[in-house]
Amino acid sequence: MAGTADLDSAMATAGEPISEEEALQRLRQSEDQSHQYYAAWWLGRMRSRHPETVPLLQAALRRRQPRAVSSGVEENAVARNAARALGKLGDPQAIPDLLATLEDEDDGLREAAARALGELRAREAVSPICARLASDQAGQPLPNSLRLREPCEALIEALGDIGLVAPDVVDVIQPFAIHERPLIRSAAARALFQLTQDRRWGHNLIELLEHPQLQVRRSALMDLGAVGWRPALEPIRDTLAENSLKLIALRGLVERGQAPPDTETVLRAMDDLL
Amino acid sequence: MNKTGADGLSLVRPFIRAVERADSADGLQKATKNLAGAIAALAKADHQDESHCDPETWDVIDCLLQVLGFNNPGAAVAAVDGLIAIGPPAVEPLLGSLDERNYGARAWAVRALAGIGDVRGLDLLESALACDIGPSVRRAAARGLGQLRLEALPQIDQINVRQRCLDALLGGGGDGEWVVRYAVTVGLEQLLLGMGRAEPGHRSGLQALQELAGEPGDDTPVVRLRAGLALSRLAGGAGG
Repeated sequence: MAGTADLDSAMATAGEPISEEEALQRLRQSEDQSHQYYAAWWLGRMRSRHPETVPLLQAALRRRQPRAVSSGVEENAVARNAARALGKLGDPQAIPDLLATLEDEDDGLREAAARALGELRAREAVSPICARLASDQAGQPLPNSLRLREPCEALIEALGDIGLVAPDVVDVIQPFAIHERPLIRSAAARALFQLTQDRRWGHNLIELLEHPQLQVRRSALMDLGAVGWRPALEPIRDTLAENSLKLIALRGLVERGQAPPDTETVLRAMDDLL
Repeated sequence: MNKTGADGLSLVRPFIRAVERADSADGLQKATKNLAGAIAALAKADHQDESHCDPETWDVIDCLLQVLGFNNPGAAVAAVDGLIAIGPPAVEPLLGSLDERNYGARAWAVRALAGIGDVRGLDLLESALACDIGPSVRRAAARGLGQLRLEALPQIDQINVRQRCLDALLGGGGDGEWVVRYAVTVGLEQLLLGMGRAEPGHRSGLQALQELAGEPGDDTPVVRLRAGLALSRLAGGAGG
C-alpha cells in the first residue's frame, strides 16, 4: 500500500493555496528547502502540465545528498517529494533519473523512486528492482531499526504495477508471500495476483482482511482495490476498517474488475458505505 | 420507549456497562454491537412514540455518542446503527455533540443524522457539504441531503426543503474529492426520485447528473458510472 495518502491529505489542508507559477518559483529557488518540499508535492498533486515542471523536478531529484547517519538531509526530503511527483505526472522523460535514484544509499529515496517507476509502468526498472529484491537479506531488518534492508513493499508493488509477466519476476516475488511481516505478504499477494491472475493470491488478501491489526487490514483493502478482484466484495464490506478505505477499494473493483458480481452490485455496496 | 422489563429491571443498563468496561478494540466493537442490537430490538417492539423518550434512552445515546469519538471503525459503525434505530430523539444530542477537532467522529455523527433523515439536520448537512474540511464528512452529508424524511411536512415546506437540498448537492458536484462527487450522485438520485417532474429543480438536478455521466463527464470513472446508473433508474421510474 502506498504510504503517502495520509501525508498528502494532511498537506492539502495545511498548505496554503498557491498558483502554478508560485510553485515553480519555489522549486527554482534554493534558499528555503521547506518551500521546495511543498512546491514539489504541489506540482504532483495538481498534475502540473507546465513545460518547466518535469525538468525542475528532475533537477531536485539530482540534488539528493549522500545520507549521513547522524543528520537529517533536507535535500533528500525534497528529492523524495520530487520522485513522488514525477510518478504522478506520467512523463517517461523522468525514468532515467528515477532509475539512478533507485541505486541511492538512502532507502527512503529508493522507496519513492520504486513507487514512481511503478506508476510510470517503466519496464526498464524491472531488472534493477528484481536484483534488489533478490539480493542477500533484502527482507531482513536493518540493525537496530524497524526498516528492512530494502524497501520491499514498494519494490514488490512496483513490479506488480509495471506488469511485466515473466517467470523470473514471479520467482523473485514469491518468497515474500510468506514473509514474517503481513504488510510484505500483502504486497506480494497483490503483485503476484496482478502478474499471474491466480485466484489463490486473491484469497490470501481476503485472509489479511481478518488480521487483528488495523494497519494490515487497511493495506489489504488498498491491495484488493489495486487488483480489482470482485469476488472480494463481501469481505471488503465486512472487514473492520474505515469506510473511506473500503470505498477506495470498491472503486478499484468497479474500475478494474470484471463480473461477477456485476457493476451495479458493487455500486450498491458503495452507496451503503457513504 | 420503555427500557425496563416486566420485573422492573433495566434491560439496557448491562449493555451500557459492557461498553464502558470494554478494554480492547475488539471488545468495544462487540459490546457496542450488542448495545445497538438491544436498543434496535426495543425500539422495534415499542412502535415508539417519538416525542417520548425515557432517561435510559438518553444514557444509551450518550454512550453511543462517545463511541463515535474512539477511532474504532467497527464500534462506530455499530454506534451509528444504534443511533439510527433510536431515531428522532437522537437528533438534538447529535447536533450538540459535533466535535470540531475530530473529523472522524464528525463523519460518523453526520452519517447517523443522514440515516435518521430528520429535517432538523438540514442546516448542518448543508454547511457540512459546503465547507467541512473532512471528505468523509462531506460525503456523509451529501448522502443525507438525498434522504431527508419529509412526509410529515406540509407540501409547500417539502418543496422548499427539497430545493435547499438540491442547491446544496449542485454545489457539491464541484467538490475536489471523487468520493464526495460520488455521494452527490447518490444524493441527487434519491432526491429526484422523491420529487415530482414538474417541481422546480427537477430539471437542473437531471442536468447535473447528465453532466457527471456524459461526455466527457466526471474525471473519475466510478462517478460517471454511478451518475449513469442514477439516470437510468430515474428514467425507469417514469410514472412519477
